[in-house]
Amino acid sequence: MLDRVLSPRRARRFQRLLRNGKLTLLCLVLTVIVLRANLGAGKFGTPEKDLDEIRETFSYIRRRAEPRRVLEEAKTEQKSGGSTESGSNNYAEFDITKILKDEDDGVQEFKRDPSQSYSLGPKISDWDQQRAEWLKRNPGFPNFIAENKPRVLLVTGSSPKPCENPVGDHYLLKSIKNKIDYCRVHGIEIFYNMALLDAEMAGFWAKLPLIRKLLLSHPEVEFLWWMDSDAMFTDMAFEVPWERYKDHNFVMHGWNEMVYDQKNWIGLNTGSFLLRNCQWSLDILDTWAPMGPKGKVRDDAGKLLTRELKGRPVFEADDQSAVVYILATQREKWGDKVYLENAYYLHGYWGILVDRYEEMIENYHPGLGDHRWPLVTHFVGCKPCGKFGDYPVERCLKQMDRAFNFGDNQILQMYGFTHKSLASRRVRRTRNETSNPLEVRDDLGLLHPAFKAVKVSSP
Amino acid sequence: MLNRYTALTPIFCFFEKLFVFELMGSESTFSAQKRNTGVLPTTTATAARGRAATALPRGRQMNKTYNNVKITVLCGFVTILVFRGTIGIGNLVSTEAEAENQHLIEETKRILAEIRSDPTDPNEGLEEYLELNATFRLGPRISTWDKDRKVWLRKNPQFPNYVKGRPRILLVTGSRPNPCDNAVGDHYLLKAVKNKIDYCRIHGIEIVYNMAHLDKEMAGYWAKLPLLRRLMLSHPEVEWIWWMDSDAFFTDMVFRLPVMKYRDYNMVIHGYQDLLFEQKSWIALNTGSFLFRNCQWSLDLLDSWAPMGPKGPIRDEAGKILTANLKGRPTFEADDQSALIYLLITQKDQWMNKVFVENSFYLHGFWEGLVDRYEEMIEKYHPGLGDERWPFVTHFVGCKPCGSYGDYPVERCLKSMHRAFNFADNQVLNLYGFRHRGLVSPNIKRIRNETVPPLVNVDQFDIRLMVNRGSGYRS
Repeated sequence: MLDRVLSPRRARRFQRLLRNGKLTLLCLVLTVIVLRANLGAGKFGTPEKDLDEIRETFSYIRRRAEPRRVLEEAKTEQKSGGSTESGSNNYAEFDITKILKDEDDGVQEFKRDPSQSYSLGPKISDWDQQRAEWLKRNPGFPNFIAENKPRVLLVTGSSPKPCENPVGDHYLLKSIKNKIDYCRVHGIEIFYNMALLDAEMAGFWAKLPLIRKLLLSHPEVEFLWWMDSDAMFTDMAFEVPWERYKDHNFVMHGWNEMVYDQKNWIGLNTGSFLLRNCQWSLDILDTWAPMGPKGKVRDDAGKLLTRELKGRPVFEADDQSAVVYILATQREKWGDKVYLENAYYLHGYWGILVDRYEEMIENYHPGLGDHRWPLVTHFVGCKPCGKFGDYPVERCLKQMDRAFNFGDNQILQMYGFTHKSLASRRVRRTRNETSNPLEVRDDLGLLHPAFKAVKVSSP
Repeated sequence: MLNRYTALTPIFCFFEKLFVFELMGSESTFSAQKRNTGVLPTTTATAARGRAATALPRGRQMNKTYNNVKITVLCGFVTILVFRGTIGIGNLVSTEAEAENQHLIEETKRILAEIRSDPTDPNEGLEEYLELNATFRLGPRISTWDKDRKVWLRKNPQFPNYVKGRPRILLVTGSRPNPCDNAVGDHYLLKAVKNKIDYCRIHGIEIVYNMAHLDKEMAGYWAKLPLLRRLMLSHPEVEWIWWMDSDAFFTDMVFRLPVMKYRDYNMVIHGYQDLLFEQKSWIALNTGSFLFRNCQWSLDLLDSWAPMGPKGPIRDEAGKILTANLKGRPTFEADDQSALIYLLITQKDQWMNKVFVENSFYLHGFWEGLVDRYEEMIEKYHPGLGDERWPFVTHFVGCKPCGSYGDYPVERCLKSMHRAFNFADNQVLNLYGFRHRGLVSPNIKRIRNETVPPLVNVDQFDIRLMVNRGSGYRS
């Protein structure tokens, strides 16, 4: 047909061109389809959507951002499409970070000299003597509130900014309520820290400058008990055996063999420990701190610790590994005053405890503190305040609820109540109200326990 | 990835073969045309060539065709597979990730929703509301509490009701057991409880933080009544029981309750006598922060106070009575504050001689008139005053950060709560030599030289020592 229009030669050339063109086009189409699918735009949405999807494929943090995005999306679901002007009465839409700003109020700031190497503070060498004098001068603030009962300050804390996880603050609230209850029953004071004292010692190291500051500011305190915010008391009746530690200054949960022989980085746990208020403690804090300052120092220290300790993954230096290292390498200097406790759960890893609560309720009773009824259930790795932890969110949060209720039941039984189940927030009565309330004693004797009794002698 | 790129090859193969067929076909036409048009001696040659081309043994041609068909089919097969994967249902990583992502999102949403609500919801017992005429009791009637308590205290000298010359006080506060409607609500509850922990540590007061509904009929603001009664009866060693709302902050860390003033009274509540008896205003008193002595009188008052509380028709009817009798009260179900005011007005002679209506200091301080003046207070006054110069308690009535909507703009409420928190926290951090960077910042700065021996600072700045000595606050 083309022969009629053009010369035969031209026609042939044209036909060839056409054939080639067809071939090229078909191959092109196929290539595009396959490449699109490979790059992740296989769903054939709008071009913009495709571009996003392709961009995501090339972004190497895509995988890591998954849970973060998930939680962010879950949060944005809550926002009803209203305005974010200052006149809004709706809490869901408000971004709190808008109002958290530094301001200058005219009070002079004392800054540390950045050229000097990091230290927790000016060196003190006669703290025992200073403290003894102070206690003598202030008899109204004794360091022992009863026979064999030292004055204890429980220290815990969390970030001053709202949690990234929408329910994180709720779990922090439950955790502090749990600690308030235990400490009320046992006559322990609480300090809840929400301030970063030293910007260089941020993260898990923040407790060091805080502990030193509290020891020096509260000479009446005999023992400082640090407890992480993700640890909960699950035995309300257990009183720490203070006399056992009369010759020791640093009590942690751990095993001697794992720390001294194996140099295992989880041979002890610094999520819950006791530190006596004395010169020895100030010295060990000064020895402990140098691995902490953020940046090169912490990273290099991390490499050293990973090399020296058994089983430690690669990451920046953390306070726990640092203690293991110090104890393992300087045992003669510190070892005799350190007590690695494992007769009861001063720290109890949650993974092996939380599923056994029902079994414990059936077979045992509070007051044991050990594997039969743990004193502390510590949710290591759960990180409820952050966006993602090392364990699935659902398991962590549900188990934290159970641990909370397990402990709370022991408090509620004082008043004749208990939770309907370990998973339920609702409570039910366990005994009826009577007209003679003073004749009823609570089963665990926690209303007026012996370890809370004051000295009978006149004030 | 490797598979897909190698899969491209068969696709190209397939299409190449298709075109080879076509080309083969057109080539024969071509050669045919050539034969027809040639007249020169070359024609014979081309014709010969053409004939030669067609004179290829049939068997080999068949073989070639057969091979081509085989390869075509193979390539076609692979192409279909690849097409299925890219366009249709397939198991490629990208689509898998999409599905997993969706699943993750849905799971997390479900978890959060489940945590926010309670699967065993209190509203289950909706049908069990008390009848209008039914009498509600907080518990069995107790009439000898003063005597019983005295006997108990005598038998238990190790739990005295007076410690170091001051009566034992128990601070009671609480919040709901499930998460707030928004994350920011829980954060402020946390800050508020830290604030209370600080005040109570400094002043030797114990705290009970309640998160349980002890009586499902007395839900909401009425929940404090059964709780206070239960705590009074379980702790005879407590002399004063102090209820404080979760949205109230201590802003004067030095001020102590003037307990000597209340020697002859059993209830201390912030309010104004003229608003109470002359105007009968529904905000004449504030039940966000008040004290009860642990005695028979208090039990009787609680028993008289409770009847308007039970959820349902009783509370609604009571609400109507209260709105009718109190000035300025909007129409809603009975609340504990209005009920108490109504009780004290109507039974004035029975109760008022033991009720101390306090307004010489801010046992409850309404936040709106206070929060903007913090800078002025810092400049002119000092902690320990407790009144309008340095309020004891700043109470964020109406802000409701735990709910979804408050009565005031969110930004104002949250910013003010932050300021109140920092205003108080500065007084606590003073002992340690720190201060917030402004009233809204979460960050702190060092304000004292570290070279001073720490115990000198303790003697100078520890509030407890100050209070014991009777000396003033130093900052």
